[in-house]
Amino acid sequence: MADMGGKPRLPWVSWLIAAAVACIPLVITDRFLIKVLTFVGLNVLVAIGLALLFGYTGQVSMGHAAFVGIGAYTCAFLTVRIGTPWIVGFAAAGVIAAAGGLLLALPSLRLKGHYLAMATLGFGEIMSLIFVEAESVTGGVDGFARIPPPSVAGFEFKEPATLYWLVWAVAGVALLLAYNITRFRPGRAMLSLHGGEIGAVASGVDVVGTKIKAFVISAALAGLSGALYSGVVGFVSPSVFVLSSSVMYLAMAVIGGAGSLAGPVAATALFTLLEYLNALIPSMPAPIAENLGLYQTDIYGIAIILVVIFAPRGLTGLWQRRRSASSAKGGSLAERRQGSSTQADTPARPEGLEEGEGT
Amino acid sequence: MPESRDVLEVRGLYAGYGSVGVLHDVGLKVRMGEMVALLGANGAGKSTLLKAVLGFVETGKGDIIFEGKALGKVRPEAQIRRGVSLVPEGRMLFGPMTVLGNLELGAYSAGRGRQRQKAISAGLERAYALFPVLKERAHQVAQTLSGGEQQMLAIARALMCSPRLLVLDEPSLGLAPRVVAEIFSALETLRGEGMTMLIAEQDASLALKHADRGYVMRNGKVILEDAADALLANEHVSAIYLGSLAGEGEGG
Repeated sequence: MADMGGKPRLPWVSWLIAAAVACIPLVITDRFLIKVLTFVGLNVLVAIGLALLFGYTGQVSMGHAAFVGIGAYTCAFLTVRIGTPWIVGFAAAGVIAAAGGLLLALPSLRLKGHYLAMATLGFGEIMSLIFVEAESVTGGVDGFARIPPPSVAGFEFKEPATLYWLVWAVAGVALLLAYNITRFRPGRAMLSLHGGEIGAVASGVDVVGTKIKAFVISAALAGLSGALYSGVVGFVSPSVFVLSSSVMYLAMAVIGGAGSLAGPVAATALFTLLEYLNALIPSMPAPIAENLGLYQTDIYGIAIILVVIFAPRGLTGLWQRRRSASSAKGGSLAERRQGSSTQADTPARPEGLEEGEGT
Repeated sequence: MPESRDVLEVRGLYAGYGSVGVLHDVGLKVRMGEMVALLGANGAGKSTLLKAVLGFVETGKGDIIFEGKALGKVRPEAQIRRGVSLVPEGRMLFGPMTVLGNLELGAYSAGRGRQRQKAISAGLERAYALFPVLKERAHQVAQTLSGGEQQMLAIARALMCSPRLLVLDEPSLGLAPRVVAEIFSALETLRGEGMTMLIAEQDASLALKHADRGYVMRNGKVILEDAADALLANEHVSAIYLGSLAGEGEGG
């Protein structure tokens, strides 16, 4: 288990990936590709929150697109209609979405599994109706247009590259924050709820507080993603924050795998790139490109079914299984060399489970 | 024994699930350093009583007094912080976590930072001394342990927060006799160290063989209370476990 008292050490490969992500706009000049990778960052922000909520705490949310919408409309309304600085709108987006998360956390204290999924789905549907009906604030079905790009201390993030850096900087900070949460006491408390509440309570874990924290953090990150989205796109439409988007977010968390941050982040990158595959590969035959767009949600659905059947622990599980298999190979070799085994009568460590890693 | 040495006292307690009443005017005492057995057929209300003590079940009339203070309607995690620890029925371990991970989580309520590290170190030392096999399996995932080892881990996890009252729900459930003997031998060791224990157990003869006193429950009420030896010799108790009164329970 990751110790709950020592300093968290980020694996060196994480810093390497962070450096590579930061350097991308320096080596890629294609503005469209940079924009697509910015969308990856926006979705990663939502996925980090869902990894904490679903992957660690075991709470299902079928309404996460609503939090993204709350963040997008809050930031757009404050900056365009009220004239607040963008950073205020951005912060407010996180706070208002977190308040929504608190609201959604209340049913989670009494509901579990399918019932919780239904409650969150209901929340998402109510919010998508509000986005359409509250015309004076949201612009109704026409959406909210002419949203200026983000600006901080007089600097406007107008260029795709600067927007990319802004989004990924926020995603990076969120990832670091989430990493710290998972390494320490709050993360372990979240993980303990994944298996069953009685064991967690018997250990003194504050179940109510832990669930509320997970919902609030997750909603706040989705709200921040929404605020960034409004600035990146410059337009917010209610058609974006619908059930299919919530399914996509959940799919990223499920396929990424529980009890890990890296899995959902990787799944998010894959899924978002898949969405723009036809544009990224111009030589793709037109019928395939058209069908990819048409059946996007169906592809997510099928992917979830396949993952549940063949890799129930998602990408995280597959990675851990691979690592476990290679370490077992090394271990058995060493044992053969020593000619003895201290745990001959005990079951081996199961595939894919590292010390302290839960799913 | 003077009243002040009562670690736990339950007085005229009513409790249940929603509108279904399970406990009716239940009373019991657990004194410092004692091992008290709670006996009864399946559904007699033993587990419900333990859950009520821990705050898992809504209580009605009556009092639960721990170390002289009424517990009132506090959340279970608050009970843990006050010094009552539970070994739940079915162990309820964190399956995908390692043995060490489970034990560390057991010390969740032990504060933060250095204080926590100290509690974890002391707790691990005690757990490994009591169940050396857990040290060997420290990095093994809990769900791959044998049933007996899992029960040992559940007990060790409950001890990590240094409780003053250890509540065990069916510790022998589903275990082979040899393993049960090992578990109860560890509980005897704990009693030797002064640990106060309340054990709900269906295997009456086993529980009474180790306990100081026992309470027999039926239909959500305490029908008998005596020293363990006296209960072992009691015909009524034998009758319950011979099955003549079994199955008359009404819940939990």
